[in-house]
Amino acid sequence: MKTKQRSHVCWHVYGLLHRADREYNEAIKAYKQALRIDSENLQILRDLSLLQVQMRDLSGFLVTRHTILTLKSNQRMNWLTYAVAKHLNGDLAGAVSVIDIYLGTMPEDSDEHKRGYESGELALYKNRALAEIPDNLQTALDHLEECKTVVMDQTAWLMTKGTYQLQLGRYDDASKTFLSLLERGLTEDYRVHSGYMCAVLGADNETCQAAMKLKGTATLATMKPLAADQRQALLKTYRGEFAERFPKSPAIRRIPLTLLEGDELKAAIDDHCRRGLTRGVPSLGSDLAALFLIERDGKYVTAADAVDIKAHSTLAAVVDLAEGYITSLLSESKFPGDDNKCESPSTILWAWYLRAYMHELCGEYPAALDIVDKCIEHTPTAVDMYELKGRILMASGDAEAAADCLDSGRDLDKQDRYINNQTTKYMLQAGRQSVAGERIALFVKHEGNPEQMLSDMQCSWYELELADCLRRQKEWGKSLKKYSSVVKHFEDWHEDQFDFHSYCIRKVTLRAYIDVLQFEDDLWGLENYARAAEGISRLYLHLYDNPDLTKEDEEPDYASMTAAQRKKAKAIARKKKKAAEKKAEEEKAAAVEAQKAAQKKGIKAPVMDEDPNGETLLKKDPLEEAKKFSAILSRSAPRRISTWLLQYDVAMRRKKPLLAMQALFKGRAIDAQSGELFVRIVDFAENAAPEADSHEAAKEVLNSELPRLLNGKDVCSFVQDAAASAKSDPLTDLSLRVAIASAMVKTKAGSSSDAASLIVDQGLDGRGVSVKTVKAALDCLTEFGDEASAAKTKWIEAVKARFPLIKDFD
Amino acid sequence: KIAIMSSKHKPLPVSFGGITKDNVEQLRMINTSCFPVQYNDAFYREAVDRRDDELCKFAYWNGFVVGAICARIEPMPTHGETAPANANANANANANGSDDKTKKEGEEGSAASSTSNGKPEGRKRLYVMTLAVLAAYRGRGVGKALVKSVLDHVEENIDTPKFRDVDEVLLHVQTSNDGAMRFYVDGFGFDKGPMVENYYRRIDPPHCYVLSKKLR
Repeated sequence: MKTKQRSHVCWHVYGLLHRADREYNEAIKAYKQALRIDSENLQILRDLSLLQVQMRDLSGFLVTRHTILTLKSNQRMNWLTYAVAKHLNGDLAGAVSVIDIYLGTMPEDSDEHKRGYESGELALYKNRALAEIPDNLQTALDHLEECKTVVMDQTAWLMTKGTYQLQLGRYDDASKTFLSLLERGLTEDYRVHSGYMCAVLGADNETCQAAMKLKGTATLATMKPLAADQRQALLKTYRGEFAERFPKSPAIRRIPLTLLEGDELKAAIDDHCRRGLTRGVPSLGSDLAALFLIERDGKYVTAADAVDIKAHSTLAAVVDLAEGYITSLLSESKFPGDDNKCESPSTILWAWYLRAYMHELCGEYPAALDIVDKCIEHTPTAVDMYELKGRILMASGDAEAAADCLDSGRDLDKQDRYINNQTTKYMLQAGRQSVAGERIALFVKHEGNPEQMLSDMQCSWYELELADCLRRQKEWGKSLKKYSSVVKHFEDWHEDQFDFHSYCIRKVTLRAYIDVLQFEDDLWGLENYARAAEGISRLYLHLYDNPDLTKEDEEPDYASMTAAQRKKAKAIARKKKKAAEKKAEEEKAAAVEAQKAAQKKGIKAPVMDEDPNGETLLKKDPLEEAKKFSAILSRSAPRRISTWLLQYDVAMRRKKPLLAMQALFKGRAIDAQSGELFVRIVDFAENAAPEADSHEAAKEVLNSELPRLLNGKDVCSFVQDAAASAKSDPLTDLSLRVAIASAMVKTKAGSSSDAASLIVDQGLDGRGVSVKTVKAALDCLTEFGDEASAAKTKWIEAVKARFPLIKDFD
Repeated sequence: KIAIMSSKHKPLPVSFGGITKDNVEQLRMINTSCFPVQYNDAFYREAVDRRDDELCKFAYWNGFVVGAICARIEPMPTHGETAPANANANANANANGSDDKTKKEGEEGSAASSTSNGKPEGRKRLYVMTLAVLAAYRGRGVGKALVKSVLDHVEENIDTPKFRDVDEVLLHVQTSNDGAMRFYVDGFGFDKGPMVENYYRRIDPPHCYVLSKKLR
C-alpha cells in the first residue's frame, strides 16, 4: 500500500483483507478508494455492492448496482439485482419497471416467458412488489392471473390470490380460492382455514391481514370471539361439507372444537379425546389446552396462568370427561356408554396422563404426581410418563428429583434425543453440570471436546442453560463465555447472509431472498439472542454493583504487619502463585498432548481454548458492555418487557434519567401489571434526581412527565393506591403484590405488617404463583423483620401445602 | 420364571423388536415389575451381547414395550432328561443374582460330563430364561405371541446350522404358578416334568417344575 498508493489492485486487495476480518466499513472505504482509480472495474463494483447490501447501505447499493447494470446490461443477474435494490429502497414501481424492461429485452420464445421455476419465481416476485404498492391490489391480482401459466409454485400462487381477493373484499372469489387450496391437499395448513373463514364471514381488511399471519393451529376462530351466527355458519360447513369431503383431515376435525360452546363443545371434545386416548397421542393435553381461550380487549389469548385455566369452562369439561373415562376404563375397560368396543390397556394410561396434565396446568402438583405415579406403575417402560413426572416435580420445587426422574426415563431409551436433551436441561437446572455434560455428549460425535462440538453445532439452548447454571454458581467468567458463544452464533447467522446476496439472485429465489433479508434484520430480536444478551447485561450489571467479585486476590496489607508476619505472608503468597502457575502449565501441557494425540489419529485437532475461564470477558468495562447489549435489545426486541426493565437498570447506573423514564413508559405500555416494573417506577420516583449539570430541557421533561408515571400522585399515595387495588382484586399477580408490599415499606406508605398482609392474606389463589415467586415473597417477608414473623409463618404453611416438595423454604 | 395369566380379552396385535444396549433397561424394567427375583447385570449384558433378535425380543403395543421373552440355546445336559445340577446352576445364576463365575462353572461341568453320557455328543436345547408381560397387559395374548414367535422361528429354521442340534425346548415354572403351567401345557403342548426342589433361593415356594417340549 505504501509504495503503490495509485494501484486499484492494491486497494482492492486491501479491502478484501478487511472483509476477511469482517471489518466491512473499512473494506467499503478501501473498495471506494480503488474505484476512484478505476471507476469501471466490475469485480470491485460487485464486491462493493455485496458489502453495501450486507451493511444495509441501501442507497449506496442502488447507485453501485445502477453503475454495474449500465456497464454490463446483458446479464440477467445485474437486472434482477438492480430491481431488488430499487425494492429495498422502497421504490416498488421502479422495481416493477426494471423487471418489465428486462423481460421486454427477451425474445418471446425465451425461457423467461415460459413456464419454469425461475420465470415463475420472477413473476411472483414482481407480483409481490406490485402488491406492496399502496392501493394497487387490483393490478396485482390482474398480474397474478396473467402470470398463472408461467408459475410453478401453484400453492403460493393460490395463497396470494386468495389473500388479495380477501383484501379487495371479493369474499365469494376468495372462499373459492381457499377451497381449491384445500382440494390441493393443504387441509392441514391453518392459514388456509383462516383465509376461508375470513371469506365466509366477510371479515374486514385489518382482521384478514392479522388472521393470515397466524401461526400453528390458530385461526380466525381462536384469534377473536365470533358472533353466534358466524360460528354456526362455519360449523355448518366444517361439520357438513368439509367433514364429508376431507374425512382424513385432523385439522378439519379439530376446528369445530374452536367454534362450539357448552354441551356441544363437550360432546365434540369427548369425541376428540376418545380418538386421541385410544391411539395414545401424547400431545392431546396441550392440544386441548390451546382451547382455553380468554377474551382480552376484544381478542382471544390462551389462558396461561393456573388461576385462569382453573376458572375456564372448557377445562371443567375436559376434567369431567377425563374422570369419567378413568372410572369407566378401570371398571370395564370401556369408554362410558360405549358397549361395543373394549379398549386396549394403554387407553387408561393415556387417560391418566391427560388427567395429570390438567392437574399440572392448574398447579395442583400433589394430585398430578399421584396420578403420574399410577401411570409409571402401569407401564414402566413409557418414557413420556417420566417426562411428565419430571416436569411436575420441577414445577413443584424439587429440581433434583425432577432431573433424576428424567434420567431414569432417559435410561430406557438411549436413542431418544429429545429425552436426552430434556434430561440435560433439567440437570443444568438442578446445578449438576458435569452430569449434564455427560448426557449431552452422548449425542455428540465421540471425538474431541463435546463442549467445542456443541458450540460448532450452534446449540444455543444448551449453552444458554449452561450459562444460566454457571451464573447461579457464581462462575461469572465461564457463564459470560457461554452467553457470548450464543451471541457469536447469531453474529455468524448474520454473516451467513453474505452468501445469499449473490446466490439467491442467481437462482432467482427473490421472494425467499427478501424474506431472508427481513429475517436477518429481525435477528437480534429473536428469543435466544435476547436471552443471551440479557444474560450478559444482567451479569455485567451484577459485577458493576459488586466490584469485589472480580478483584484478583489482593496483596495483603504488608505495611501493617510485623517483619515476621510479613515474611510469612509473602511466602504464602509466593507458594500460592507458584501452585497456580504450575496448575496452569500442567493444564496447558495436557491440552497440547491431547492435540498431538488427536493429530496422530488423523482427527482434526481440537481448537485450544486459551481462556477457559472467560478472564478476558471479566476484564471488560461492565457498564459499557451492559449498555451495548441493552441498546441492541431496545432496538430489536422492543416487545419484551424485560428489554425495558434492563434498559432502565442500565440507564439508571449510567445516570441517564430520561432514558430510564422512557424505558418505564415503554414497559408500562407492554404490561402495566408487572411487579418488576412497579418496583422500578417507585425506585425512579424516589431516586431520579436530575444531574446538577444536565440540560434545563431535560429537567423540564423529567418534571412534567414523572407525575404521569405516578398517575399524578406523589409516590406515597401512588403506592397506597396500588395496594388498595391489589387488595380489592384477589387474583392480583403475586409478584406485583410482593413489589407493592416492598414499596409500601420503603416509601413508608404503610407498616410492615400491612405490607405483609397484602402478600399473605390472599394466600395462593392469585395469579403468578410459582416456586420462584413464592420464594421471592418469602424473601420479602423475611426482610420485613419481626413485625411480619406471624405472616411469614402463615405463608410458609400455605406454600408447603401447595408445594410439598419445595426445597429451602424456611 | 413365568408371569402370565390366561386370556379372555381380544388379543393385542403386538409387534416385536430386538434388545439392544440402548433399550435393555426396558427389559430390566419389565422383569423387575413382573418377577419376585432380581436378575443380575450379567443377565442383561448377555442379552445385549448375544443380539439374537429371534430368541430375545420385546413385544410392543402402541409404541411401548409391554412384554419380553429371553431364550437361548444351550448344551443338552447329560444325566437324564433334565440334569438338576445343571439347571440349578443356571437358575441360580439367573434368578438369584450370583455372578458370571457360577454360571460358567455350571456350563463347564455339564460339558465335561457330556462325554460319559449315552446320548450323542453335542446335542442342544432351547432354554426359555424369562417370559414377562406387564400386569396391565396380561390376558391379551401378548405372552402367547412372544412364545409362538420364538417357537415358530425355531421350527422354520430347525435344519439350519444354528438349530440343527436343538432337540427340545425347556423352562422352569414355580410350583405355585398354575396359570403358567396351563399356558404352556394347554397352549403349547409342553410336558410337565419332574419337580426340582429348592430351585429358587429367596421366594416361596422355592420349588419348580421343569416343562419341556420335543422339537423333533
